[in-house]
Amino acid sequence: MKKRYWRCFVCNDIHYGVAPPELCPTCKVLNAYVEISADEARGILGGGPGITLTPGEFRAAIERFAAGQEFEVNPDREKVGMLIEGVFANEANHGLKYCPCRLCAKDWEEDLKIVCPCNFTIHETYKGVRDGECWCGLFVRRK
Amino acid sequence: MADLLMFHGRECPHCKKMMPLVEKLEQESGVRIDKREVWHDEKNADLMRSYRSALAPKCGGQLRVPTFFNPDTQDAICGEVEFEKLKEWALKR
Repeated sequence: MKKRYWRCFVCNDIHYGVAPPELCPTCKVLNAYVEISADEARGILGGGPGITLTPGEFRAAIERFAAGQEFEVNPDREKVGMLIEGVFANEANHGLKYCPCRLCAKDWEEDLKIVCPCNFTIHETYKGVRDGECWCGLFVRRK
Repeated sequence: MADLLMFHGRECPHCKKMMPLVEKLEQESGVRIDKREVWHDEKNADLMRSYRSALAPKCGGQLRVPTFFNPDTQDAICGEVEFEKLKEWALKR
């Protein structure tokens, strides 16, 4: 199934997926999405406010992401600090927050799979593993 | 004896942890491991990518670091491993 771009006609939320959300998460209007081109999506997203995220804000974002989940951000602060440094170096040098413990294959779809946080819950280092963690160790199974 | 390769990342904690073990192995066994950093050196990254078909099946279908690779046998081992396991792998040629 091919993913496409969708725009909420009320509030201009952009969605990238095989189908649009039934309910717009921003303006809560039902059936508000219309399909748009990649250029239009880029124009809307690229022309918007330049929202940046500092390493500290990223850290807070992943803490919120992990809150209430079966995993948590690794309590080893030194390790986490090194990984976040790598994630930000990769974003600066290679465009996205790629995992510092893997490498881009120069295959767009494959490379999206290593953007942090990745879908590590399906990986062999985490799924069904008692002390499971993501490949880099940024997230670990909550004790 | 041909060199083995180690692909690693500067900000990868597992790679950092493996470095002393790699040095110990080199000193103990005479094996030489050519260390290639892949996130800050595009030539090294391209070299790793050129071995993707041999590396990915051994590393969860992806290019991951640290990865140790024998270009002669195309055998690879990836991740943080115990010293004895690394030694056994490096000497089994």
